[in-house]
Formats: sequence, C-alpha cells, structure tokens
Amino acid sequence: MASESPTADRKVVVHLRATGDAPILKQAKFKISGSDKFSKVIEFLCRQLHRDTLFVYINSAFSPNPDELVIDLYNNFGFDGKLVVNYASSMAWG
Amino acid sequence: MEVFSEEATKYVWGGAIPLQIHLHESEVTTLPPPPPALVLGSRIGYLPLLVPLIKPYFSSTLPPGEDTVWFDYNGLPLKWYVPIGVLFDLLCAEPERPWNLTVHFRGYPGDVLTPCDSEDTVKWSYINSLKEAAYVINGNCKNIMNMAQVDQFDLWQSLVKGNMDGYLRISSRLKLGPVGEDCFLKQASSLQPRQAIDEPDTVGCSRPSRIPVRLYIRNVGESLEYLEDAPIIDSWDRISYINRAVEIHKEGGNYMTLKHAMRTLLPEIFGDEDPDKKYELRGEGNHEACSSFGDQETISTARNDLVEETSFGSQRPSEANLIRIQGIEPDLNIPFSWVVNNLRNPDYFLHLCVFLRTSSHQAKAT
Repeated sequence: MASESPTADRKVVVHLRATGDAPILKQAKFKISGSDKFSKVIEFLCRQLHRDTLFVYINSAFSPNPDELVIDLYNNFGFDGKLVVNYASSMAWG
Repeated sequence: MEVFSEEATKYVWGGAIPLQIHLHESEVTTLPPPPPALVLGSRIGYLPLLVPLIKPYFSSTLPPGEDTVWFDYNGLPLKWYVPIGVLFDLLCAEPERPWNLTVHFRGYPGDVLTPCDSEDTVKWSYINSLKEAAYVINGNCKNIMNMAQVDQFDLWQSLVKGNMDGYLRISSRLKLGPVGEDCFLKQASSLQPRQAIDEPDTVGCSRPSRIPVRLYIRNVGESLEYLEDAPIIDSWDRISYINRAVEIHKEGGNYMTLKHAMRTLLPEIFGDEDPDKKYELRGEGNHEACSSFGDQETISTARNDLVEETSFGSQRPSEANLIRIQGIEPDLNIPFSWVVNNLRNPDYFLHLCVFLRTSSHQAKAT
C-alpha cells in the first residue's frame, strides 16, 4: 500500500513491452497522468501499432479492466518506479 | 471469532435484485408493446448473463439486425463488468424494488461501454479480475494461471449458475483465503519443500493478508437528508472508481475494524484521526446510537471528513459517509477480516460503495 498520497496529479512511467510477434515500439517508455484510465494506454498502443485490438497485460500476468486508473495500477503492481505493460496481437496469457 | 461463515456466504450467493426490464421504446415494433420482463439478477452475477433469460420476452418484437445488448438505468448505460449487486447498491441510493432497467438490443454506446459480445467476454473479465486479486494477495497469479482449463470452466460455470458449493470446492484450492483469526492467510497444511534460508517466503506459509478492494465513490452532497433525494447519476464521471489494497493486521491484540480499513483505504476521506480514540470518548457498545447530537456537532464542525458509526436499526438518516457492501450498511466496528471473508465477491475482490456526504476535502473524482 503506497504511503504517499496516491493523488491524481502524479505522472506514472509506463514501460511498454512487446510480447510474441507484436511489433516493438521505438519509444517504449512514456509518462502518463495517474488520473488517466488504463483505456488511454490501450488506445495509445492501438494507435501506435495501427491495430483495432490488442491484448494488453500488466506484468505479464493479467489484463486490467480499462476503467482502472493508471495510478492505482502503479501503486498496486508497479515496481522500480514504473508500470510494466505487455502487449500482444493474440491472447498471450489466457 | 468465526472467520468464515458459510451461512453468510449463502446469503451473499443467494442475494438477488428483482429486476423489471423494459425494452427500449425505439426497438418496439409491435402493438401492444411487450410487457417488461421480471427477472432476478444475482448480486454476484453480471447483466450480460441475463440476456438468455430476457431475450425470449422480446425477440418477436425486435427490429431486424444483429444483437448488441446493453442496459441502462435512468439513461445511464450500465457497465457490464460491474457485478449486478454493486450496480444496484451504487446507483439506487434509496433501493428501488423492483429495479427498473431498460434493455437495448441495438445501438451499442461504444463511447461509454467497452464491447461485450458474448458470455466469453464476461468470463474473460472475471478471470482477469481473479488474477488481479490473486496478484494483490500473493504477489503473483500463478495459482490462477496454473488452473486446469476444466477447473477454470467449472469455476466460471459455478458463478453463472449460482452454485456456491461448486465454487467453494474449486476456489478453496486456489489458496486465496480465508483470512484467519491471526489475520494471516489461512493455508491448507501441506508439506513444504525445504527452503533456503535467504528465501523471502516464510517457511510457515503464513503472511499478513493483502486484501484487494474496488471502491465506487459517489458524492451525494452535504445537505442531503434522504437518500432518495440523491442526485441521479447521469454520467460515470460522477463516480470515482478506485482500486486499492489494504493489509490486514491486528492492533495490539485487537482485530482491525472496517472503520480502520476505510481509514487506510481512503485517508483523504476518512481522515487520519484515530477513530478508536473517538469511540472511547463516546462510550461503549456497538449498538449505541450514533452519539448525542452535541457530540456530532462538535465532531462535524471539527472535521467534516470523519466517519461516524451508524447504529443498527437507526431510522434517522446518517450524517456520515455511507458504506454499502453486498447491500448491507455494516457496523463499522465489525472486524475487517469478517467482512473480507464473508462479503467479498467470487472474484476475490471486496466491492465497496461509498456515498460521500462531505463536499470539502474529498477524493478527486475522475
């Protein structure tokens, strides 16, 4: 449980990692506002990779629902100061 | 203290919302229009799972086209991944029975709702929530990932069919609880392989429990006297959806209370002041009425954002922030471990609805 106040104003560092045959992004690290929903990360990925659908995971483990706040995901699952997001073209961890 | 009550779990699994489901007028092609469908929506279930029950009522009147089913309450499209009981507790400040919903088979609002094509979409969402919960509890979700396909299928089917025994049988193998009296996660005793001394995991397979919580926060306003007058939610922007975890621990021999857990989860709302101290000042008894008026005024003027206890059977609307879990507004002195073990959903999340009465210094709505 984060001891600092997990306010919306924080920026969160997101590290985007390709899985399987998904294309690797040139720029893989981004800062996103903590008050944004995870759907923003998904949308960003879809735009960058020109895909309609992607499978997106946290720590190669689970897909959070798109309404979850980035700050909550970071507080609960982030480590080393970043949130690791894996993306794949097909279901990687079913 | 009985940490896990099968009786309480039966109530939770048996809980259902009586729904009166109207077909949206734009989709009625016959005269007279079909009467609404009366369906029981399991509290722990999800709206899309009701479609096979509902569709027969309306299939003969629908316009041609493909089905993209969604529901709305007072015009607000309902998020399908939120358990039915939570939607009801959150959106119906004053419980409405039956709960009047509108069903649509066309015109899916893709700007508000993520797509939901079939039962599989709901299952995927459930399994991922389960993984997320497991990750919070264990630091990884290997136990879910290593489930046999048939077990995952059976677990899901137990939920769909409201089969509590089937669910408990499979879920008990996942080692996600219940929280024991010592506030440690109860593990089935098993032979542990000898572990290296420097291994972070304790050899005694017990550790303080981290509880995953989903909070749905709604501001009903300071001056609200009766819940039925709460402003209608016309947009999900009015609800804060917050996902946090709380570690259960004992406080010098005392059980951690729900009140304390709320303070840990939402310090920006429930304040830093030790609520136990305040409780001592007021006197003994869980069932004592919510303090004298004098006390309340003092506390209210001093700190608007403190939680006050609600007493059982209190007719007077509480001036405090309201917490609703599985349709219950619990006494805040209940041990949090009891709440966790008995009121959490099959996805191992505790879903809490919070009705904020304070206007100042509240959690930022997104």
